[in-house]
Amino acid sequence: MLKLDRRSFLATTAGLSFLTFLPRIAFADGHADTLRVAIAGETGDLDLLQNVSTLSSYSAVFDALIHYGPGGALEPGLATAWKIAEDGLSISFDLREGVSFTDGTPFDATAAEWNLKRWMGVADFSWIGIADAYDNITIDAPNKITVKLKRPVPAALLELTIVRPVRFLSPKAAAGQPIGTGPWIVESYSSTETVLVRNDAYWGEKPAFGRMELKVVPDELARANALRAGELDVIGGDWVAALSPRRAKALEGEGMTIVAEPGTATTILGFSPKSPMMQDKAVRDAIFLGIDRAAVATVLFEGYADPTADIFPTTVPTAGARTPVPARDVAAAQAALTAGGWTGDASGWTKDGAALEIAFLVSEESFPGSRRIAEMIQGMLMEVGVKTNIETVDNATMHERRPNFDYDLTFFATYGAPYDPHGSLGASFVTASDTGPDGKIYVHPDLDALVATALETGGDAREGAMQAVYDWLRDNTAACPLVVTQRLWAVNPRVKGFTLPATDYDLPFKGITLG
Amino acid sequence: MKNWPWAILAPAVIFVLIGIFSPWIMTHDPAAQDYGALLQGPSGAHWLGTDYLGRDMFSRIIGGARTSLVAMAFVLMAALAIGVVIGSFAGYVGGKTELVLISVIDIALALPSLVIALALMGVFAGENFSWMSDYWKMIVALTLAWWANYARMSRAVVVAELQQPYIEAARVMGASHIWIFTRHILPHVLGLVVVYASADAGALVLAIATLSFLGLGVAPPTPEWGQMLVDGMSYIEENPALVIIPGLALTAVVVSFNLLGEAFALQKVPRAVRGRFLARKKAARAAEEAARKEVEA
Repeated sequence: MLKLDRRSFLATTAGLSFLTFLPRIAFADGHADTLRVAIAGETGDLDLLQNVSTLSSYSAVFDALIHYGPGGALEPGLATAWKIAEDGLSISFDLREGVSFTDGTPFDATAAEWNLKRWMGVADFSWIGIADAYDNITIDAPNKITVKLKRPVPAALLELTIVRPVRFLSPKAAAGQPIGTGPWIVESYSSTETVLVRNDAYWGEKPAFGRMELKVVPDELARANALRAGELDVIGGDWVAALSPRRAKALEGEGMTIVAEPGTATTILGFSPKSPMMQDKAVRDAIFLGIDRAAVATVLFEGYADPTADIFPTTVPTAGARTPVPARDVAAAQAALTAGGWTGDASGWTKDGAALEIAFLVSEESFPGSRRIAEMIQGMLMEVGVKTNIETVDNATMHERRPNFDYDLTFFATYGAPYDPHGSLGASFVTASDTGPDGKIYVHPDLDALVATALETGGDAREGAMQAVYDWLRDNTAACPLVVTQRLWAVNPRVKGFTLPATDYDLPFKGITLG
Repeated sequence: MKNWPWAILAPAVIFVLIGIFSPWIMTHDPAAQDYGALLQGPSGAHWLGTDYLGRDMFSRIIGGARTSLVAMAFVLMAALAIGVVIGSFAGYVGGKTELVLISVIDIALALPSLVIALALMGVFAGENFSWMSDYWKMIVALTLAWWANYARMSRAVVVAELQQPYIEAARVMGASHIWIFTRHILPHVLGLVVVYASADAGALVLAIATLSFLGLGVAPPTPEWGQMLVDGMSYIEENPALVIIPGLALTAVVVSFNLLGEAFALQKVPRAVRGRFLARKKAARAAEEAARKEVEA
């Protein structure tokens, strides 16, 4: 039989305590200078021309000519200055001098030209206005280039801030080698982790810590638990590793720092322009008025969302004048139906013998949490008398049905910064655009003309042209904006000075110090 | 089993009773949302609390029982009817027809029923089936995935019964095929498949919940336990009751139906069938023993 005296008990306890602290000691040795950030999907080799890597890590490794700043301000990147010709047909760039790629290759006009020609004028990238309008590039000096265009592209400078393909790769990089001029260098990447080390020769403000480990954690609860356990320092960012409002609330209650700021992407309820039911403006009006946006923001987004009646929030440039967010008004919704020739009440409506019944297409895979929002809206519309049938489908079915407008109602989201407003307007509201499986929010011949004018108009007239689009969308109840979800991040207490990156496509590291 | 408390079977009985009388048992409209009473704990107003939209959990559990019971009843009846007809026909007719039908049954049994149901739900998601609601798609998919077991059992019983002297006697006396099948064979077939179905009911309730869990079954706002489970998963940290309550209901019903099936199998199968089965087993064992002795000698 085991005999345990006081001395051996104390020795055993001390030994076990030491073993318990071993991982923390190891952590202190190995991770003190390392920021561990969750990413939802692997980074891959960060190929700038392929749509295979997650979007979150490009800006850490590669620079663009122009960087996206707060509120859409354009900040110098690899270009220190730029000038658009009066006719809008050429843009000249002064390139930053003394910059090298991390393999030692100098960044100059030749390297810039090589990079830009990889995507400008290439059919695959015609969705980018400046690529579609590209004519040629001239090297004016060792550090000065001019891009010539076939037609003016007012959003050209904003387009040069997007994640890919606009960033700059070393011309000497072998295939699969992500070598840029950015603040971080890829040390290794695998399906579970990507390790970045600080680029000590970076031209801009260098990170305050030397290493960043991007841990692939696809499950949101697992990410939150890893943050709680101290295995991760930062989680969040819609395109990095999304943090749900509910989880953020739970983490906040446990002492984690939650950083929330107004978002740049709008969640929109889309009406199918091909659905006979939704072509009736009275039905669209009834839905628009019958939804309690504030309740959606409070109940399902825990207050981490802002109700809206506009397509774009003010956090993106030229978002237009604000429309007051309508309070839910069941009587007004029913009055709209009556004015539209419908007869009925809260128990149901009919017109020309047809019952008012709407198919609400939802995919949790495409849009996590959408079924709960749909259920809430279904309950609200039920009180108006609009019967809503929620069809829950998988991603593949959603990708098949959405481009064909094979639904009455479904959810959309605008792209957010740095792609908006030109990105969402040019893709999701234009009949001829190719948005693939994403579908379009609303299309109409009149709207096509207005959007084309808005996207081609520059200078002082641009704001008015954009406003004309927003007015048309509002007057025709072409879509039903619901909320702007806030940008949400949760941070371990050892992370000091956390500030949100410029967009949710960027990794957070600027200003951060590790305790 | 004889000494097991019959209370174990109570959940199955309660499930059926609740399913039938749910409209009178529910205290609230299970779809009614109340944003002023979100994620509440049990109280006098809401006996099992409320969910993320302020809906009454008790009423949703009761409503979910009805949803599952109705779907289960439809699927069991349809699968049993299809299985008995195909299996009995194959066993009775024999020859090439039997060979073809048994091959179809084997193919259907080669894949797990739930996988077949999932595949069929994928097929039904197409535009050609848009006239069917998700609920009926689920019932049809489960029926088509579930009939094969009943067919195989039915065939086996028919083949065994056809060997019996009393069938031969009936034929000699000029009885028609219909008479022989309905009067002498079908009762044996039904005796066995109904026992199997009672145990299968639990698996079916679970399959219905699984399809709903995967978003392929019942459409909102109809309450369904599998869907309640998946919805509750998002709130598992702050309100685990949203997962525990439907989970417990599901577990109790599945276990109870399994025990019910076992009870029927042991106590309700016709004594004659059990007697013959035991006699055959005894004879086979005696033959084996004799053969072994012969080899030893």
